[in-house]
Amino acid sequence: MVDILAEEKTKDGRKVIRVAKENLIELMKELKSQGYNLSLTTAVDYIDRIEVVYHVYNMQKNEYIIVKTETRDNHVPSLTSLWNAANWDEREEYDLVGVIFDGHPNLKRLFLPEGWVGHPLRKNYDLSKAQYVNMDEEGNDYVTFDPEGGW
Amino acid sequence: MAEWTEVNFGPQHPSMHGVLRLRVKLDGEIVKEVEPIIGYLHRNAEKIGELQFYCDNMIYFDRMDYVAAMNMEVGYLEAAEKLLDIEVPERAQWIRVMMAELNRIASHLVWLGAFGLDLGMLTPFFYCFKEREKILKIFTEVSGSRQQLNYMSIGGVYQDVTDEALDHIRTFIKEFPKELNKIESLFVKNDVFISRTKGIGVLSKEMAIDYGVTGPMLRASGVEYDVRKAQPYLVYDKVNFDIPVSFKGDNLARFLVRVEEMRQSIKIIDQTVQKLPAGPYFNQKAKKPLMIRLRGQGEVYARTESPKGEFGVYLIGDGSLRPYRVRVRSPTFKNLSVLPALAKDQMIADLISIGGSIDLVFGEVDR
Repeated sequence: MVDILAEEKTKDGRKVIRVAKENLIELMKELKSQGYNLSLTTAVDYIDRIEVVYHVYNMQKNEYIIVKTETRDNHVPSLTSLWNAANWDEREEYDLVGVIFDGHPNLKRLFLPEGWVGHPLRKNYDLSKAQYVNMDEEGNDYVTFDPEGGW
Repeated sequence: MAEWTEVNFGPQHPSMHGVLRLRVKLDGEIVKEVEPIIGYLHRNAEKIGELQFYCDNMIYFDRMDYVAAMNMEVGYLEAAEKLLDIEVPERAQWIRVMMAELNRIASHLVWLGAFGLDLGMLTPFFYCFKEREKILKIFTEVSGSRQQLNYMSIGGVYQDVTDEALDHIRTFIKEFPKELNKIESLFVKNDVFISRTKGIGVLSKEMAIDYGVTGPMLRASGVEYDVRKAQPYLVYDKVNFDIPVSFKGDNLARFLVRVEEMRQSIKIIDQTVQKLPAGPYFNQKAKKPLMIRLRGQGEVYARTESPKGEFGVYLIGDGSLRPYRVRVRSPTFKNLSVLPALAKDQMIADLISIGGSIDLVFGEVDR
């Protein structure tokens, strides 16, 4: 059995398991062997820490579990070795929240172009500064703060 | 390796859906590598969601999957109403199911027409859009607009369905199955269509589950899983319908599953029209001036079955007037992530056919 930190319920009655990030892969491996599959990966910024939330479900048992882990240095292990479903989701969370998934094969920004300053879903993201995107000769996007230099 | 040609495909290309851009590496006509580049329609609805009142978010959800706005509204409200402790009157729940299923048909019709266009068939497109127009007329009758409906709101629906609208619905469900047979025969009796879909883009059951593929694509790969049956929301447990499943997993299977789903939707709409109970269509606890003062505490995750797949909304409230975090599980986003694996070592013409069969709507992928 994997050590879990706590078990709780969400407001609509879904089971939540809290686990330390060192034990995350182990717990997920065990859940996978029981027939659970990854549905959604997300992250929530609580200013002093980031909570990474995994939604797993089991079609046969018709069960749905939320697994939570928290990080203070923005690093969590990647689950791409277990499920391909984690691939794009982790890239999205890296892009928008700024969580770094260790061991991800291709951790690049997904929605925003490379070079974007900041992660929009962070609570301290500066909304007053507009950034503009343009395309260089090679077909790659780049970011500029100059309103005339892009769209 | 050195002879591979790199081709940029999209974001503005006639055979691309929305603003999808693909970087394709080709060996002659064979696709060796596909890299989807997305984000051209990104406006970060999740961040916008954090900055507004709970009731304001509705319009941004309308614009996610803009061909199935009702289903998006149902998805958001399932989460928001649980978080805000607002009950929905019985009549409003039935109306929501009715509208969601009508929109499911409209969405599948758009897909069907566009899929025909991808494969070089112009005729079915007009038949599909003619039928869709009838549904949009019903929506105009009930909500006042055609696509960005904003019909449902926290606590119920914006206005009651009129007798006129119900009449339109009754005529529609009487006539549509015949028209659907006609449209279907335009496809399945076409030799070119069959040869370009049968056995092309086979998605195995294990791969579909591994990539988190949901909806008609998953059911075409032989998994009988539908959120409407697995975890019924609204009144889906009180209506009879079947889940169409195919075991082939190719483009043709996805076509057949979606066509059959339209027939099942007609069955559901028929039951909702007959069983529609009388009573209020709106919860007075959430009426206009009170609506913006609703506070949410805790976290909820609501799953619904949108035409594209499992649409989930994860809401966290911190007791203030605005949500702390909004996260959307968009089905097309997950379904698109399987495209590089599906299109590998296929002909470039099949890449278009496979991409078309996924049912891409970019408002939802990019959010």
